[in-house]
Amino acid sequence: MKFAHVADTHIGAHREPVLAQLEAEAFGIVMDRCIQEKVDFIIISGDLFQSGIPDLAAVDDAVKKMHAVREAGIPIYVIYGSHDYNPNGKSIIDILDSTGLIKKVVKGEIVDGKLELEFFTDSKTGAKLVGISARKAGLESRYYEILDRETLEEEPGFKIFVFHSGLDEFKPKHLAQMESIPISCLPREFQYYAGGHIHEKSEHTLPHYGPIVFPGTLFAGSPRDFEASAKGTQRGFYIVQFNKKVEKVEFVPVKVCECVYHEYDVTNKNSVQAQHELQKSLKELDVKGKFALVKVFGELAGGKTSDLKFAELKKMLSEKGAIHVDINRFGLVSKEYANMKVAGEDIGGIEDRLFKENIGTVKLSNADLKGEQGTKLAHELLKIVRQEAKTGETKKDYNMRVSEDAVKTLKLTGAMK
Amino acid sequence: MEELEIAGQIIGGKVANILLREKSGKEIELGDLLVVDESDEKYLILQVYDLSYGSQIPQTVRELAAGLKLEGYGSSLDFLEPHLRNYVMAMVKAVAFVSKGGAKIPKVLPSFFSNVRFIREKDLSFLIKPPNPVYLGKIRSGSKILDFDVFLDGEEMLTHHVLVPATTGRGKSNLVKVMLWSIADHKKFGMLVLDPHDEYYGRNSKGLKDHPNAKDTMRYYTVNPPPGASTLVINLRSIKPEHFEGLVDFSDTQLQAIKLYHRQFRNEWVENIIRGTQIDGVKSTTLAVLQRIIRVNLAVYLEEGQIVCKNRVFSDSAGEATISTIINDLEEGKIVIVDTSKISDEAELLIGSAVANEIFSRHQDAKAEGRLDEKRTVGIIIEEAPRVLSAERLAKSGNNIYSRVAREGRKFKVGLVAITQLTSVIPRDVLTNINTKIILGNEMATERHAIIESAAQDLSSDDRTIASLDKGEAIVSSIFTKFAVPVQIPLFDDYAKMAKPSDKKVVFTG
Amino acid sequence: MSVEAARRLIEHLDTKIREEELGNPFFRDPNVKTYPLDKSGFHKIQQTKLACKVAFVDGGNQEIVGAPDFSVQLNRLYFGMWDCSERILEKSMPRRIEFFSSTYSRVTSNQVFYDTSVFPVHEEHRTMIPAESDLSFDSLDRTVTIGTQRADIERVASIARVFAEWQFATEIVKHELEKGDILVVDRTLQTTFKNEHNYLTNLVNSAKKKGVIVTGLSKTSALFTDTGLSLMGALSKLAEDDGMDEEWYFPIAEIYRLDHNAMVLAVKLNRDAKRIFRYEIQREQFGELSEEQINGIFAHFVKNSSDLTFPGYPYGLIDADRFARVSLQEVEYYKALMFSQLSNVGKWEKLSRHIRAKDAHDVLNMLIG
Repeated sequence: MKFAHVADTHIGAHREPVLAQLEAEAFGIVMDRCIQEKVDFIIISGDLFQSGIPDLAAVDDAVKKMHAVREAGIPIYVIYGSHDYNPNGKSIIDILDSTGLIKKVVKGEIVDGKLELEFFTDSKTGAKLVGISARKAGLESRYYEILDRETLEEEPGFKIFVFHSGLDEFKPKHLAQMESIPISCLPREFQYYAGGHIHEKSEHTLPHYGPIVFPGTLFAGSPRDFEASAKGTQRGFYIVQFNKKVEKVEFVPVKVCECVYHEYDVTNKNSVQAQHELQKSLKELDVKGKFALVKVFGELAGGKTSDLKFAELKKMLSEKGAIHVDINRFGLVSKEYANMKVAGEDIGGIEDRLFKENIGTVKLSNADLKGEQGTKLAHELLKIVRQEAKTGETKKDYNMRVSEDAVKTLKLTGAMK
Repeated sequence: MEELEIAGQIIGGKVANILLREKSGKEIELGDLLVVDESDEKYLILQVYDLSYGSQIPQTVRELAAGLKLEGYGSSLDFLEPHLRNYVMAMVKAVAFVSKGGAKIPKVLPSFFSNVRFIREKDLSFLIKPPNPVYLGKIRSGSKILDFDVFLDGEEMLTHHVLVPATTGRGKSNLVKVMLWSIADHKKFGMLVLDPHDEYYGRNSKGLKDHPNAKDTMRYYTVNPPPGASTLVINLRSIKPEHFEGLVDFSDTQLQAIKLYHRQFRNEWVENIIRGTQIDGVKSTTLAVLQRIIRVNLAVYLEEGQIVCKNRVFSDSAGEATISTIINDLEEGKIVIVDTSKISDEAELLIGSAVANEIFSRHQDAKAEGRLDEKRTVGIIIEEAPRVLSAERLAKSGNNIYSRVAREGRKFKVGLVAITQLTSVIPRDVLTNINTKIILGNEMATERHAIIESAAQDLSSDDRTIASLDKGEAIVSSIFTKFAVPVQIPLFDDYAKMAKPSDKKVVFTG
Repeated sequence: MSVEAARRLIEHLDTKIREEELGNPFFRDPNVKTYPLDKSGFHKIQQTKLACKVAFVDGGNQEIVGAPDFSVQLNRLYFGMWDCSERILEKSMPRRIEFFSSTYSRVTSNQVFYDTSVFPVHEEHRTMIPAESDLSFDSLDRTVTIGTQRADIERVASIARVFAEWQFATEIVKHELEKGDILVVDRTLQTTFKNEHNYLTNLVNSAKKKGVIVTGLSKTSALFTDTGLSLMGALSKLAEDDGMDEEWYFPIAEIYRLDHNAMVLAVKLNRDAKRIFRYEIQREQFGELSEEQINGIFAHFVKNSSDLTFPGYPYGLIDADRFARVSLQEVEYYKALMFSQLSNVGKWEKLSRHIRAKDAHDVLNMLIG
């Protein structure tokens, strides 16, 4: 018997046509391969979609593929991820679940303060699945605190625990700041742990736990993913053979394009020098038919960051045949703007750093606005204002919704009245 | 002073040896705090450090009288006016002179023949609760416990280091638990607790896990974690050569070899040594020795091509972010308890060294950039401190991060809380940098002398008092206290108030 | 050598102190009626409760500065009141008073006289100390001389304290004691010096008026039996032979003299005590006491004489002795005080000439250590 384990497909993450196309292609390859392999079922451990209400065109493509899988008699078991969960109501996952295209394997209730989860049994194989979906900002950790593990551990049979969280023990060093849970939160003695949320693939073992597997993102959910892919990180999914226990865990790579990665450090150079050298080095790159990722970082010795003509560079690479060009310049600063040193290279880290530093410079009397609390609140507010309007939502309704969410987060419900 | 309150009267002596006669029945105790009221709301606080019998009856007569009684000759005889002629003399020293301006070190003798009384809570009003309080217990006068809490400022106390000298069974662990519980009330300091007996978290009993703020302020690392706790697993790539400094004796050849491996393989240097990867400039014999040293210290070796760790703490695949996470937690003011009960001393010290080195380094950088004020003070609690601070160890292996913290940590807001049974083996220059000593009972004279010699106050007359400290009784000698404060540390189980079950209803959505 | 001499001495002494015949109390004076020394004289002291107080009085003095022609003394008087073994606080009188006295020589009509002036530490205590007019003595007065030699000025200087004891006792009787209470002085009731009898008479009259019994207990006794043995020694032997191992009193003699009007008894105040003491009660007052009352007095003393440090001796007298004493340490202090006063008024040179006439012994003591 076998099943496929996929995660973090983030369908709808890309609006740019080329990327959206590649994203759909990657998903398609996975679904086709599953049919080809005649897997008994597929587990998607969160972030199937980029948001709770994603781009419908992307959804359309994905649904078609999933439909084919269902037609082949292969059930698809899913949980919410941190992206495709909608705190305010139903998400795309719920809609697809209600059609029977996919099956959410998270069901439980709180009895006497304990969270009792219900197993879903795959009718064909008898494998028992149970899981906990992700919430925003790692809030699912509250569920793990009250989880009734004993009952889950005592359940006989082949058990799979599906989850969408980083695990302390296995997260990479550069994600040390990321919210995660210790593995002790998960029930023991399951035969397989289908993880999601971590965008690099990894397999782990620990005593009392079956294989703990993260497939990684299938294509790319963030610019960092592109960089990692460009540097050689494999993308794909897992096919797991099992009987009474796991017999084989096989990674199936999925590659939809070649990537070229180039980085340039502007330190000790002025903007004129940097522009010149960058142009020269990019000209020499073979980017035809490839995804080109350029990273520019460092502190300019002179001139402004706006002196660098990135649009021109991008155009040059496109004309050389690159299917897509992405220039990452978040690490680039000029000397005049050096009062804010940005250490993080991804948006999340940068935002965190900026919030922390700015909060520290303001005199605040309310403890909820200071230090870690304040930073957390700032992150939450930023997420809220970043929300996109739903399809068909008027501007007025959108503004109202965002305001309401913000007020709720700030615990100022009375103020709105 | 009311008649009833009078405990005795001063009858002579000199500055550090004032003699007073106990009023009969008052039962002045060793360590008692007494007060002489002077004029204008000023008063002197005295502390009893010795007791002796006084008698108007010559020794030989007393001996004879005792003989008469014991041998049955004096059934009708007794001492008339016994309380007048046989009494207790207390030797006291003045520890504080209190006036409206606060407390000072006393420089005068109390008025001759003045009455003394037992201390009241009100007399201690000059001891103000500091802004970053760490609770130590209640003031103790002899064996009497006053309803007055003693706090030290955590910021000052930790950056100037703490020594907890005590023999077994005197309540060291209880003290540390009480302090940590108090620290957990506010997230002002990060505390790294190396716990070789797994006694702080409370895996099977009441412990720090039961603190109302435990979820936000505590993290527990252990090899076999209970639900919610973190696995103690550290990736070999987190280990740097400098983490071994002062803990493992490497020869020059071995050090050179390590340098070469590190240069070539960067953070995979340990793995490559374990795997036996040969490199230029390193003999196979040297490599073999390094493999053995790593096996002994980390319990890591190669088995059928796989890197195996006997105690499951070190790994080549997991635990990449453990050290970073611990450091981030410490910098956020959390208490990080590392259960080292199932690993060797060497491994425990290495883990502590890895964390301490990184914290120290971060704080040094922050200071260089003028950002040290943004950093929280971080304290490191280490038991059996002579393992890293003894003169013998330092002479043999040179300085390690712990001794470095002890000597320099104050400048970088990193502090040490060293727990030890043997103070005498710690070099004086280390001891003098540790400015708070929470002295528990100690029956070993050499140890008491070592403690006394390095104390912040003159405790030269307190040898007997220290020897008589019962379980839970302590003397806090610190540069931040006006005098050596006698305290009664509460039993942790009584002190720690259990977290109330949360009223917040959890709603589960799948 | 000395061991052999000691042995021979002891053997010789033993032959001289013969206890085969104890004899009877020996008083040469016809004004003394004695009681035979036989076992019928022992009166066992019954433990009865007598409701009364006992005041014990004692005095002490030391020379502060002395020369052949003057002597400065510190005098001290003390009393304590007891109900058996419990101390009772005084009502109004000071428990202890002190006064300096200065005795100096004067030559009048070719005779050397010694006069004494008194200086109470607290002026209000003057009524409790003797009048200066009573303290003037001819240096050849038989009551003050020892043998035929002129009286030593220091001996005469002590008389002020002796008189002060009687005077102080009188005040105690007047202000602190009630009918049935007992006064005990640390001596016999015999007077010695000129004018002393007046003070004792004063005391006895005041005591009789109030119903307070005047008594005295001596630590030492030089009484003899008519077989040459010490009376107290003989009594001890008699008690031992008779198996009298409990507390007892034993009448010895009634004395009918102007300077000594007392009933003399011997007492053993604790069964574990080794010593017996001479005790005197004012004779007329004794005559008025019933057997029960006499027993009651001694029963009181028995309870007060149970201190482990000196079984059989009243604790009230131990107490009085301790607080009445003037210690040598104090003497040094006061000496320094006096000398500094002398120096202040510029009289040091003058007086030191006279002091040197007497202090060679002190110099030797200092040299030898």
